[in-house]
Amino acid sequence: MKIRTIKLREAHKNGENGGNSFCSILWDQQGDRIVTASSSDPSIWVHDAQFPSVNPKSIKHHRDGVTALALSPNFTCLASGSIDHSVKLYKFPGGEFETNITRFTLPIRALAFNKSGTMLAAAGDDEGIKLINTIDGSIARVLKGHKGSITGLAFDPKSEYFASVDSTGTVIHWELQPGTILNTLKGIAPATFSDQSAMNMLSWSPDGDLLAVPGLKNDVVMYDRDTAEKLFSLRGDHVQPICFLSWSPNGRYMATSGSDRQIIIWDVDKKQDIDRQKFSDRISCMAWKPHGNALAVIDSKGKYGVWESPVPSSMKSPTEDIPNVRSNGLLLFDEDEEEASASGSLSDLGEDSLGEPELSSRKRLRKNSTLDDSWGEDINDELDLHPKVESHKKASKSKKDSIDHEKHEIKNSMTYSAPKMQEAFQPGATPVQPGKRRFLCYNMLGSVTSMDHDGYSHIEIDFHDTSSGPRVPAMTDYFGFTMASLNENGSVFANPCKGEKNMSTLMYRPFSSWASNSEWSMRLEEEEVRAVALGTTWVAAATSLNFLRIFSDSGLQRYILSLDGPVVTLVGLKDELAVVTHSSPALPSDGQMLEFRVLNVRSATESLRGRLPLTPGSYLTWFGFSEEGQLGSFDSKGVLRVYTNQYGGSWFPVFSSSKLKKPDENYWVVGLNATKLFCVVCKSPYSFPQATPKPILTLLDLSFPLAASDLGAENLENEFILNNMHLHQIQKRIEENAAAGRDTASIDDEAFTIEAALDRCILRLIASCCNGDKLVRATELVKLLSMEKSVKGAIKLVTALKLPNLAERFSTILEERMSNEAMGSTVLHGNFKFDAPVQADDVFQRPSLPESSTEKAVLPFPPQRSSTPSFPKEEKTEQPPNAGNGIVEPTRALRVGKTVEVKNAGEAKDVKEAINPVKKQPEEIPVSFNRPSNPFAKKSNRQEHSSLFDSIKKMKTDATGKR
Amino acid sequence: MASQADAHAATFSAAELEFLAEDELIEIVPNMRMDPLNLICGDFGPFRPQIATQVPVWLAVALKRRGKCTIRPPDWMSVEKLTQVLEAERDAEKFQPLPFHYVEISRLLFDHARDDIPDIYMVRSLIEDIKDVRFHKIGTGLEIISRERTYALRLKNLSAMEANIVRPFVTRALQTFYKLSSPDMIQDSDSVSNRQPQTANRGPRRQLKDR
Repeated sequence: MKIRTIKLREAHKNGENGGNSFCSILWDQQGDRIVTASSSDPSIWVHDAQFPSVNPKSIKHHRDGVTALALSPNFTCLASGSIDHSVKLYKFPGGEFETNITRFTLPIRALAFNKSGTMLAAAGDDEGIKLINTIDGSIARVLKGHKGSITGLAFDPKSEYFASVDSTGTVIHWELQPGTILNTLKGIAPATFSDQSAMNMLSWSPDGDLLAVPGLKNDVVMYDRDTAEKLFSLRGDHVQPICFLSWSPNGRYMATSGSDRQIIIWDVDKKQDIDRQKFSDRISCMAWKPHGNALAVIDSKGKYGVWESPVPSSMKSPTEDIPNVRSNGLLLFDEDEEEASASGSLSDLGEDSLGEPELSSRKRLRKNSTLDDSWGEDINDELDLHPKVESHKKASKSKKDSIDHEKHEIKNSMTYSAPKMQEAFQPGATPVQPGKRRFLCYNMLGSVTSMDHDGYSHIEIDFHDTSSGPRVPAMTDYFGFTMASLNENGSVFANPCKGEKNMSTLMYRPFSSWASNSEWSMRLEEEEVRAVALGTTWVAAATSLNFLRIFSDSGLQRYILSLDGPVVTLVGLKDELAVVTHSSPALPSDGQMLEFRVLNVRSATESLRGRLPLTPGSYLTWFGFSEEGQLGSFDSKGVLRVYTNQYGGSWFPVFSSSKLKKPDENYWVVGLNATKLFCVVCKSPYSFPQATPKPILTLLDLSFPLAASDLGAENLENEFILNNMHLHQIQKRIEENAAAGRDTASIDDEAFTIEAALDRCILRLIASCCNGDKLVRATELVKLLSMEKSVKGAIKLVTALKLPNLAERFSTILEERMSNEAMGSTVLHGNFKFDAPVQADDVFQRPSLPESSTEKAVLPFPPQRSSTPSFPKEEKTEQPPNAGNGIVEPTRALRVGKTVEVKNAGEAKDVKEAINPVKKQPEEIPVSFNRPSNPFAKKSNRQEHSSLFDSIKKMKTDATGKR
Repeated sequence: MASQADAHAATFSAAELEFLAEDELIEIVPNMRMDPLNLICGDFGPFRPQIATQVPVWLAVALKRRGKCTIRPPDWMSVEKLTQVLEAERDAEKFQPLPFHYVEISRLLFDHARDDIPDIYMVRSLIEDIKDVRFHKIGTGLEIISRERTYALRLKNLSAMEANIVRPFVTRALQTFYKLSSPDMIQDSDSVSNRQPQTANRGPRRQLKDR
């Protein structure tokens, strides 16, 4: 036998002091959801079967452990019975509480729906079994006869009989109609008495012909439907009594779990075991998937899992042949519903099946003719599956039902296909996990964790930096806070409303205050807080009425704004509050439609607004400010975007987890700064970290999702774009500060270091361009260098790489640049009326000015941008000496650099006086330039100068022309 | 520890070895903010709360003592890894690859960062077991030296502590063998005169035992 392991996930807390508890599990109609409950947990959890890591939904209305679950056969109604003596009904799959359908005086142990869903049987430690009409909640009948607590109930699929078993092992066979006892079989099942985690149960085969009861010899005994005679037993490798059994939907197979912690799958026809699976704990409940070959199991520790293909693929599927059964139209109940029903734990619903064992051995009294009919049909079915003649009545009934059912399905599929608008979330919160601590908030500063106990939770606030952060005592929370936000000064909490009594509350807790009792709370009536945020002196909460409420940190209600749509998340930093809302319902193709606003709370202004792009089909998972105060967003497809004001305000994708090519890792973003992403790396099934041990942040480099370039220097290209982006941001800040009249010295320094870094990066890019023989690109890059020194470096670099042609071009660029610089400064100094031309040339001289404008200006022009009339002349004069001697080339290039430098020094003074008076004649100027001490400078100076002069003259004429 | 028993025979004392091991790098998670430390051995940091960084063991221990960080036990110090190593160590004749200073580092962490190691008792007993198995292997392995004439030993993956223990004995033993064997060879060397005496003396080179 193959050894497989079924991964079990924790769904419920363990019982008190690690004891066993009785857990229940159910599938929904489509096999999309799994419902679990445990006798040590008052919550019922609805898990997503496909994505178990998705936050399960809890239904918490009981005050004590849930011992029994049952789904109505049409899957619209969920019933739960609890130790708190009540039986409650909920809508399914929504989980809305409907009614307390009945109460007992002692705990409930078992629940079962009948085939049509009109009747619910409930029983427990009380002596009677209540049969309740589900429509009005009236008690149709109380069946009394058991001596011990009743642990198992089962309606006969043909709705004639009813069977129950108690903890002493007695099975009673009831006739439903008059409600009388047909047979009492004493002590045929193992007595469990005190052990509440192993309960006797029994189950009708889906065709209703057999009643399966765990036997005394670690076996399953089959009893005849009508006479309650023992027919045969399934006996095999169970070494301890069987505690749960479940028929496959077609009745061909049976799964049994024993106290020996194994599950055995039986072929009922052959009375043989097919497969088995060992577990670390006793499996207290199992359910076959309604479609397909899977078995959901839950153990007595509250861990559930799905055993995929328990029946080997070589054999018939456990759900095969059901369609035939459907056409069979056996009885008075809805076939379609039967078809879709799961064999729930206690509501033992199933299909009419063909797999009738021991045909020949059956000698039964037929009670009525319909049964005889069905019997005949069954045989036919078994032999050749040829079509059945149905009575008119049956046909019409089933037709009606099938229409109903279809309607139901259509409704279902509608809700399934339309993408939902994502719900509001708090950045840095993890979903609820039963019995575990979870994060309400985890940011770069610290964390807020919450641990759910019965009726209250325990909230702890920790700062990462234990030395500087304040020490905050843990608190007990009776509100059930699910949202929190944290900064240096305080923390804010909020809870959604739960029922009428429990209103949505917002609470703020400052960490230090001179006054006592400075924490405050607000209650919101008929409104629910969806997201919270806080900043330096304010607290914000967005509510279900699309209000954005802004409070001061002392609890003053400052503003109430109406938001444009349902809120997705709120983030605060200092004075800034970022709000993400839905702008329209989610598109079926593209997913969420979100927009964001950034508000300045102090000045009551809006600083930014726009759409929030997401990767198609994804949803927002994190939103926040970077350490520098930039907005960042992270979506479920693993793309990090940063907002820049380039291109009129756009989002740049600066990180994509798919580019890292580590499919088994998920990144849970916590924050970012200019170059790094701070995240918690989670191993693949998990998309979020556990609260204990405290997760450790990992730094990941930001990297644009670049196209695979022919250069093969993606790191450099990435760095290039990134540095350009930073430079732009810094310049923006410099401008802002300068406009505000603040000192920009420190930012200037920062800008300088980034420029230097950018230049280094460009130089390396030039090198790789040269190696890759992309000379045009190299030339373009040279123009982007911000410092002269770097241009000289580039010239050195290309000469070392033996590319004289390029070196020459570079030096031309350098000269051009020097001249422009000189001219620019002159003009700036001399005459401020020439604004427009100066701007244009400025671009050359200082690419460090707004980078985008540099690119715009430079990119459109090929290297021959030196088309200002003066330059061709200069080139001409330069060429002759170089053309002949390629060897001297390097020195020349250097020399040019030097001369230019020297010239520049002189020029600064001279050009001013030389050019300021517009009418000065060109002949005069060489005189003023005879000063330079450098002997090399002479020649080039003259050239340089003349070209310079020409260009200036041209500019001036241009300018005057304009005027 | 055997080395402590005959410390005078060992080249280094256990404390000295521990000192050497303190230069190994280990990952810590600081809970304070601090600029990078520029030390002679290199630059460490910057230290940012809740972000792991690599520092030498001595620094980690110093910070830990002041409650400024938690130490992340190295990968090989997990129960699964150690269980694997222990099993492999028992089965195979070779030494399993473990960090050169595994004895010292684990010791330091047990002394100073017991709250940072998950399942510390398990880890500790596993490391003890591994150490015992390896020392036992060395002990039995050394018998080979005396059984046959050996001129060299190759011990791959030997850790610092283990090397320290075997070094005095093994080197001396090998030297002795060498000395003892050379006179015979000198006699032989007359007949095989043109060969280098040194290499000839080695005799047929034995396949070195890989352990």
